[in-house]
Amino acid sequence: MIQMTGVRSDLMEFFDTKKHWGERDVKVGRAWKIDELRLKSNEDLHKLWYVLLKEKNMLLTMEHDAKEECRPFANPERIDKVEESMNHLEEVVKERNRAYFLLETGTSGERTGEEFENWLGLPEYRQHEEYPVPKEQNKEWYKAQEEIPTSSDYEKKKFYSMLRVKQRKDARKGISAQRASVHETLKNFPDTDLETLRETAPDLTPVEFDKIVERVRSTNWENNEIPREIKMWNGQFVRRRQMTWKKKYGH
Amino acid sequence: MPNYLPREVKRRRVRFTTNRPWSAEFEKQNQFSHRNRVYVQPIKNWLFFKGDRVEVLHGRDKGKQGLITQVIQERNWVIVGGLNWHFRYIGKGEDTRGMLVRSEAPLLVTNQVSLVDPSDDKLTKVEWRYTEEGEPVRVSLRTGRIIPLPFAAEETHDYKDPTSYLENESKDTKAADVEAITFDPSLKTFEMEIMEVMDIKEDRVPKKSYFY
Amino acid sequence: MSSRLYPLYQKGNPQLRVFLPNFFMKLLRPTSNQPPNQVKFIVSNGMSKYDVENYLDKIYDVKVAHVSCHLQQGHTKASTKGYIIKDDDFKVAYVTLPKGATFAFPDIYPEQKEEEETSEREKTIKQIEHSFEELKKRNKNRPDVPGWFTI
Repeated sequence: MIQMTGVRSDLMEFFDTKKHWGERDVKVGRAWKIDELRLKSNEDLHKLWYVLLKEKNMLLTMEHDAKEECRPFANPERIDKVEESMNHLEEVVKERNRAYFLLETGTSGERTGEEFENWLGLPEYRQHEEYPVPKEQNKEWYKAQEEIPTSSDYEKKKFYSMLRVKQRKDARKGISAQRASVHETLKNFPDTDLETLRETAPDLTPVEFDKIVERVRSTNWENNEIPREIKMWNGQFVRRRQMTWKKKYGH
Repeated sequence: MPNYLPREVKRRRVRFTTNRPWSAEFEKQNQFSHRNRVYVQPIKNWLFFKGDRVEVLHGRDKGKQGLITQVIQERNWVIVGGLNWHFRYIGKGEDTRGMLVRSEAPLLVTNQVSLVDPSDDKLTKVEWRYTEEGEPVRVSLRTGRIIPLPFAAEETHDYKDPTSYLENESKDTKAADVEAITFDPSLKTFEMEIMEVMDIKEDRVPKKSYFY
Repeated sequence: MSSRLYPLYQKGNPQLRVFLPNFFMKLLRPTSNQPPNQVKFIVSNGMSKYDVENYLDKIYDVKVAHVSCHLQQGHTKASTKGYIIKDDDFKVAYVTLPKGATFAFPDIYPEQKEEEETSEREKTIKQIEHSFEELKKRNKNRPDVPGWFTI
């Protein structure tokens, strides 16, 4: 079912067809969709994988050479298309294998893992490793466990308190950025839809949001500019720039 | 080999411009971080597409109608073909006069441009609604007419519209081959089926191993 | 296959088979002192020389006499802003073909197509120059009229 471009078994398969050499534009179709690959048998998928792999090698070769020789490489998005279809293909294969294992053994058949507390006291995920003997008989494993750095409860507590300070600081930064963005967008675009604007600032409370809206709408931005001229004590109007000491007295 | 910590130095926020994000001009514009942040008005349902007829409400071409040639959604921008030109000199010096270059300036979707009703070519407010079949359509609020999506909205780098795409004989798979169903479900893993097809026999039983 | 993790080796286990290999190989232009029966590749960092041999034999049907690999460090350079930029490491493989077999790197950029492109470019430049001179001729006898004014 997969179209083959004349079976060449040669190192020349690392290069594009002769027609496309030195071309500026090579038009190709889109990547394989995952729903299309679900229709195909395992044998077809296996064949298609090698077609895609060879195409990818060819494109990488051509791209590398074009870069070395300072030439344009026609349609670099072809590499993305091939990689996308390869990812889709692998996903379909995983899906089928998972279904088989769930039917036969009740597990997904993939490598298991667990969440544990690391030496800083933070939760971390670890994938299980494969060993020939069970844990109880594995002296080396226990030895390796002892070498992992540990920390006392006091140290963990101290680390946690400092971490919390940092997290709170980051959260506050995020909130103030959101507050600024709501303020500025409303100032620049007074007729913004408030509900969509509220969605862009999820960390602000409704009361706080309404306060900002009220503040922006109550100020008259047209008259709020910094005045260019300032009235002096003797009733004279002086330009702001002339006020600087250096310009007036020359030192 | 110097000691180094693996870390990626990158701009956190990019400023989108009329240049494409993958182009060298875009990279050059984003080199320096001292430019002010741009605040964009959030829009819930996007209404403007390439090929739409719009009326310009702002600038030197106020009141004129044109077709959208480019949509830059990150900045709520739209570029209308042949309208709202701006001019600048390239390579202007004391001795040289420079060259006058013109390009279309972008227009804001929110208040500088408006969609046009196809029945009377006058501007309207537009909304997304659903037909009885459940398809989303744009409806003119003044006359209740449907504003169909333009053909140019489907244009990509590879084709003007999907029906006119010419297949690359040496690269593309035929449509009939893509649609053909060859999947035959069986109680086997991928590896088992391939081994059967390729006539590989494996009698060795894997030894027990433990995961922890 | 579901996970791409390498299984534990135990004696007497079934042979390890890779059904969907995700290694890549790219063929490079030969360096100056490379014999004609040797081909240079950049391969995935995880590949051993036996992997390279099997890859070429099974997928491309190319018989191989000898393979030598080495991992090459990425280029480092100091930036002006006080940090170091380092490219990724990559693996280079030199593959020697069996006796009698040679490989010549093809000429991917044919001269004929290039000439066509350059001639087209020159043609358009000439056209633009010609039209500009014609535009200048129109206002030659009217020095007080600006350049864009033509009837």
